[in-house]
Amino acid sequence: MFLRLLYQSFRRQQRRKLLAGFAVTLGVAVATAMIAVGVDVGDKINRELRGYGANIVVYPDDQALSVRVGDQELKPASPGTHLKESTLPNIRGIFWGHNILAFAPFLEEQVQGPSGTLRIIGTYFDKPLRFGTEEFSTGVEKLYPWWKVEGTWPRDSGTDVLVGSQLATRLGKQPGDSIALSRLSMRIGGILTTGGSEDVAIVAPLALVQQLAHASDAVDKIYVSALTKPEDAFARRDPDRMTAADRDRWYCSPYANSIALQLREVFPGARAEQIRQAAQNEGTLLSHISGMMLLIALASLIAAALAVSAAMATTILERRQEVGLMKSLGATAPTIASLFVSEAALLALGAGILGFLLGDAIAQRIGQAVFHSSVAITPVLLPMVMFLALLVTVGGSAAAILRALKLDPVLVLRGDA
Amino acid sequence: MSVRASMFFHVLKRGLLGRGNRPLIAFIALTVASTMVTATLSLYYGLENKLNRDFRSYGANITVAAPEGQSLPTDAASHVRSILGIDAIVVPFAFAVMHTSGEEAVVVAGTEMDEVRRLNTWWSVSRWPNGDDEALVGARVESHLRLTDASFDLDFAGQKFHVRRSGMLKTGADEEDRIYVPLGTFERLTSLRPSLLEISAPGSREQVTAVVAQLQSRLPGMQVKPVRQLLQAQGAVVSRMRSVMFASTLLIALTVALCVFSTLTSSVLERRRDFAVMKAIGSSQITVNALFAGEALTIALCAALAGYVLGSGVAAWISQANFHAIVTPQISVLPLVILADVALALLAATVPLARLQRIEPAGILKGE
Repeated sequence: MFLRLLYQSFRRQQRRKLLAGFAVTLGVAVATAMIAVGVDVGDKINRELRGYGANIVVYPDDQALSVRVGDQELKPASPGTHLKESTLPNIRGIFWGHNILAFAPFLEEQVQGPSGTLRIIGTYFDKPLRFGTEEFSTGVEKLYPWWKVEGTWPRDSGTDVLVGSQLATRLGKQPGDSIALSRLSMRIGGILTTGGSEDVAIVAPLALVQQLAHASDAVDKIYVSALTKPEDAFARRDPDRMTAADRDRWYCSPYANSIALQLREVFPGARAEQIRQAAQNEGTLLSHISGMMLLIALASLIAAALAVSAAMATTILERRQEVGLMKSLGATAPTIASLFVSEAALLALGAGILGFLLGDAIAQRIGQAVFHSSVAITPVLLPMVMFLALLVTVGGSAAAILRALKLDPVLVLRGDA
Repeated sequence: MSVRASMFFHVLKRGLLGRGNRPLIAFIALTVASTMVTATLSLYYGLENKLNRDFRSYGANITVAAPEGQSLPTDAASHVRSILGIDAIVVPFAFAVMHTSGEEAVVVAGTEMDEVRRLNTWWSVSRWPNGDDEALVGARVESHLRLTDASFDLDFAGQKFHVRRSGMLKTGADEEDRIYVPLGTFERLTSLRPSLLEISAPGSREQVTAVVAQLQSRLPGMQVKPVRQLLQAQGAVVSRMRSVMFASTLLIALTVALCVFSTLTSSVLERRRDFAVMKAIGSSQITVNALFAGEALTIALCAALAGYVLGSGVAAWISQANFHAIVTPQISVLPLVILADVALALLAATVPLARLQRIEPAGILKGE
């Protein structure tokens, strides 16, 4: 009998159920979408901020002090030690290797140009590398997305070079021209604008500069861009003075400092430092944005809960006559209540799943439209959202059910209540 | 006032005040909705400013450099300050290569310590210089040249001077290879003037780009450049966040509108007997509609005002808690909230009224 009542209720009152179901679907969809986006937005903005450039630098421990004022190197570089280029792919093998978004090695040399000495910087543009079975490519094109090249980017295996924009103006060079460097003639692939000191230098493939410097396998500096966790008090502690458990926890957190330590382990005799300008400020910005989005997600959760419970209350209050009839036919209050609660629960489950799928779609739309990438939705979200939908739907109905039960059936059926 | 009009207002007043908690429920629903919408809209409008302000902690977004081997005009810093106003931070830098007593070359920079401290908040400094003869020593300078004594000598063009070490500077970048001394001291000893200005100008990417163009025309011969990586990251993050907030605001507004709509609809439907009685004793359809609309309008206006005040409070609390910044209530949000509330309330009243109009009053009164 109970089940038949339940079944008939859904069959006969399709319009009303549709309205309530629509409210639950929309509420769950909004909550799902906002939680998914709110949780993921930190990671997305983190990647966006990595467009700011490197946040970790690796260089030999005994590298001489740079004595440069503006663009003038005032002391010839002493033949210090170098890092090994052949070790570079191992960067991918550190504990947080997958958080390394890009890196690029740099080797600088002074060469004899058409009018005096010039600075030539060797680096990777977009070099294919292999670590184990994993193939990837990295270089300045990824590390410094703001570098603007007029012409074409050189190939890492080629002999084309980029000339800084200010230098190009001074020398009157265009892309496609050739430039004589240390008696070698090289083709200019493009003109480079960075807004930094590269504007008055030549940027060339690393192999070419190693050849000019007679230093094979040598690298001066490596700039690394890694996804990091904002620094907190724990991150600033000295790992050497921690207990073993704390040290493990520190090592296994993607702090800029712990990634720097792991990089140091790859390059013996090297120093790895976080670039504070990038690393420190990112943290504040990220925590502001994530905090804001979580509050917004919370607000949408409240809005969704309100909408669902209002809709449920409305549909139940509209059915007072039904309650009166059941009561006059001898149904007890618990029976009536359980009927309504089961209805609400069924509605919550059905419309909740639909809402979850819709919310997923909305989150993906936002992700694609705003960040051009999909939004990761954790599977944990489904049971969480379903539980909330159930709670809100049944809870929202409860007050209305109690109110309907308190009414005198005689008055209700006469239409006086 | 005619009898008819005074009767109308009397019924309206009774409808609002004399009927238990039904108008109250509608009022609460609308107030909650307006609160939510006001809060998210205020945050949406204030977000851009806050993010732009956050990006200023990255330091300079514009540099002004003198041509190679020259210095800036003497009044360059104050000139730029007068152009940009007090919100901008302008820090002059002068550089010279000096030698330590161990004959090691090192770059010494003169700058205004108070200003650089405001500009580069990420500098990790053990103690900032106070006196004229105090210097900030870069971490790598300290470890390479073993300048760990409380004071040391620097030699510039055969002229020696004595500085006291105030603290160590860690940045992870080129600054660690330098020694920083107060600009006044630097100029007195070397008679070199600043060759570089680092400027942090407030505002969005577009505003900063406009400032660059302005400075370029006011400082001919100087190289005025935007710090491209900073502006690019700022532009990207701000526009992304703006879109995300816009989508969120829209979704939240949609949900609360749905909530209000179903509450108001049911409150009108519940009153079909009032409606039937009014028609039965001879009031016209227009009067009845006007009465319901008047009620909805009154409730909507009160709710919009209450929601605006509450929502501004919520927005202020959120930005205080999250950004540690005070937001001033956005007046531009108010008309939007009022308009949305009134439209919503009228719409929510119209749909059930249209349905009721088709029914005979006698039928409703008989309870069919």
